[in-house]
Amino acid sequence: MSMDHEAVIGLEIHVQLNCETKMFCRCPSRPGDEPNRNTCPICLWLPGNLPRFNREALEQAILASLALDCEIQKESAFDQKVYYYPDLPKGYQLSQFHMPLAMNGHLNVTDANGARKTIRIRKVHMEEDVARLVHENEGRTPVSLVDFNRAGMPLVEIVTEPDLRNSGDAMEFLRCLIRQIRYSGSSECSMEQGTMRVDANVSIRPAGSDQFNTKVEIKNMNSIRSVGDAIAYEIERQKECLVDGEPIVLHTRLWDPEKRVTSPMRGKFEGPCVPDPSVPRIVIESEYLDEVRTRLPEMPEQKAQRFVKHYGLTYEDAATMCSERSVSEYFEAVADCGVSSRLAAQWIAGQVLPLLKECDETVSTSRLTPDRLAGLLKMLERDEINSSAAKEILGKLRGSDAPLKVIVESGGFRQVSEADQLEAVVDRVLEENPSAVENFRKGASKALGFLMGQAMQATRGKANPRLLKEIMTRKLG
Amino acid sequence: MHSEIFCHIDTRPGSNIARGALVGKRAAVQACISVQGWPTEAGSAALRGFVAVEDATVVERLRDAGASLVGNTRSCELGFGLLGDGAGKAVAGGHVDVALMTDTMGEARAAAASAGVFGFKPSYGQVSRFGLVGLVPSMDCCSILAKRLGDIEDVFTAIRGGDDRDPSLPDPAPPSLSPSAGPGRRPLSAGVVAQCLHGLSSIERAAFEAALSNLERVGIAVREIPFDKYEFFPVVHNVIGSVEASSSCGKFDGVRYGHRAAGSRNWNEMYLRSRAESFGLPLKAYLFQGACFQFEQYAVFEKACRIRSELVGQSRRLHGEVDVVVSPARRAASDFGRANTVGQLYEAFSLTLPANVTGQPVLTLPGLVTCEGGDLGLQLMGAPFGDELLLGIAGRILQELEGTG
Ligand SMILES: [Zn+2]
Repeated sequence: MSMDHEAVIGLEIHVQLNCETKMFCRCPSRPGDEPNRNTCPICLWLPGNLPRFNREALEQAILASLALDCEIQKESAFDQKVYYYPDLPKGYQLSQFHMPLAMNGHLNVTDANGARKTIRIRKVHMEEDVARLVHENEGRTPVSLVDFNRAGMPLVEIVTEPDLRNSGDAMEFLRCLIRQIRYSGSSECSMEQGTMRVDANVSIRPAGSDQFNTKVEIKNMNSIRSVGDAIAYEIERQKECLVDGEPIVLHTRLWDPEKRVTSPMRGKFEGPCVPDPSVPRIVIESEYLDEVRTRLPEMPEQKAQRFVKHYGLTYEDAATMCSERSVSEYFEAVADCGVSSRLAAQWIAGQVLPLLKECDETVSTSRLTPDRLAGLLKMLERDEINSSAAKEILGKLRGSDAPLKVIVESGGFRQVSEADQLEAVVDRVLEENPSAVENFRKGASKALGFLMGQAMQATRGKANPRLLKEIMTRKLG
Repeated sequence: MHSEIFCHIDTRPGSNIARGALVGKRAAVQACISVQGWPTEAGSAALRGFVAVEDATVVERLRDAGASLVGNTRSCELGFGLLGDGAGKAVAGGHVDVALMTDTMGEARAAAASAGVFGFKPSYGQVSRFGLVGLVPSMDCCSILAKRLGDIEDVFTAIRGGDDRDPSLPDPAPPSLSPSAGPGRRPLSAGVVAQCLHGLSSIERAAFEAALSNLERVGIAVREIPFDKYEFFPVVHNVIGSVEASSSCGKFDGVRYGHRAAGSRNWNEMYLRSRAESFGLPLKAYLFQGACFQFEQYAVFEKACRIRSELVGQSRRLHGEVDVVVSPARRAASDFGRANTVGQLYEAFSLTLPANVTGQPVLTLPGLVTCEGGDLGLQLMGAPFGDELLLGIAGRILQELEGTG
């Protein structure tokens, strides 16, 4: 049964834009502040107030749309999405329904088998966020509290075509989308912190068919992982329905991250959308669009290609260096200090990023600045320190403001590369471990490792390992 | 302070130190126009006890021009209709020199005509709606009532123009009122829409034709003009108006202000009961109707929007041919104080509502169209954003009529 069916998945992604103020008033956009601190008569929608659309939100929404290769529409307009709920004090949400800001975008993703796929983006439209409800069920009477800090926050909703076929594709698409939008600087796109919310529409059909069956909407996923899990669960659930001959009806289901199941929420309600008479139509002149376009940075795909060409990185290393805009800029800054770019990429991916993650820091906030890292890597390249010392120094460069030189000298990290000094150490080690020497000569190669370890210990880890091994083999031979 | 005319009278009027064209003028605003610290209930239980937190832009500008604000006048529920409205009486009774009130289907002009004073609805987009507790955002327009045309001009000059709190106003604002924008001595023409004329009773027609001959006597060429689909004005206004009203009234949910029904078990019930208790019958019917077009018959709304643009386009073309379009402002039988169903309201306001659909400026002049039914008011409609010219034409007509006695 399951071999004969395929899933059809489309995503609707709400992304909170990086703006100083809300979308239709000048309240600060800081939803996490003390409840109802960032409010005014407009975002409380007191009678007599009119929406004042914010140019900053438009600019960020255009950047996000451009990052997804969308066509920006010359004219777009706001509609009133009508529904009654206490999180929406004026009875409608300002959203773009009939005339969205941007259309016809796409993202290329690589699926689990390494194949490239194009996922089409139907549209990107702007809308205001609604207030946050806090339900308190303790006490005699349950109460619902409304926090208007979030009301009117600028969002874009990104709607894909139903081009995704499995949970893996959906997760990869989201990672790719997050990277693109973060690069553009228009949003943080963090599902964990609530700056990105994903709803998935899932239906199934006979493999190879092009029909669209009744879809089920799933909500309430709080990480990319849970989007994947919820979709995978929902596909199986629908296939079982099919086996059991149960009809699939249009509805919304909530993902329960504890029980790892989806459960029905409510019948899907689509409120009407009527044009809003008070927000003027948005007309985007080509000069303005060109101007905004210049603010879009080099995007990850092109940047990775350039890193391969210009810095001689492998594509994998280049892609890793381009995973975040800040990391790519950090890498370039290190490499441009004259360090081998491959060494820089290896150290950033293998040491720096894990270390910073562990310490809850980022490349932009850490004391491990590009020039401090470059200084360290140069010493490593010149054999002035060995790599185990370098790892230790890395930690100290992050943990203090002390200059590299001071850390190296005061910690005695400089590598011992003087041959006569090392020869004396080797002589002493061989003399103190006659049985190991004998074992080696009988053919036990393991003994060499032991002797090397002893010698390294005698120099307190500072011996140049290559030179030490050379001397050791010569003396044993 | 309770009276038939005023909801609120300012007992401690601060001395207005502003120096402008309105120094010495006493003004009132309808209770749907926000005045900071005053009850602004807009005649509705949905706003019971609501006190405005900011001045409407028009109020701020009246004060800046030196006017003293006497109080706010009674309003029909959310300005929809004229039942119990106080603005016309406040002006006619000499309580104030000028009054501002909202005009959604012709309320301000009808009130002016009934009271025998001047009424002016500016072009849509000339006057900021900030602070106006509106009903139909694409048609509501803050309008002016006064006994003297000069006062209308001065108030209009004071309140008009761009406002960053109402971004729906055109940007940049049109040039300000200047004498050069007037008609000068050139010959003027007036058009009468045929369907409008044919719809009048013989008594109304006689009174209106007498006014037309007066216009001709002062050299204005009057002619009948065709207006395709003129009969669609009421239905277009009704469909679009009710849909917009349905959305605008969404905010009256009893959560933050106004009336909240007691004893509901959940918020759905609270919404339903609070709204059921807050709205009066005609408005309730209007909102039901709007919700029906929104939720069930969206295609009808879309069609009404299409016809509206045709009507606007046609109106624009007509104003290339004539300077003003004239009609009475009301029917002899129109009893605004009794109109209490949606149907009666649309019947009563049939002569004024076209200007709300097209957004054109309209002025009603008292004393020129009179019959046993009272003063019907002579309504002069100008080209969109031709407000100065319209006021100039009216000034010239009055002057010349006076001259020919
Ligand atoms: Zn605000």
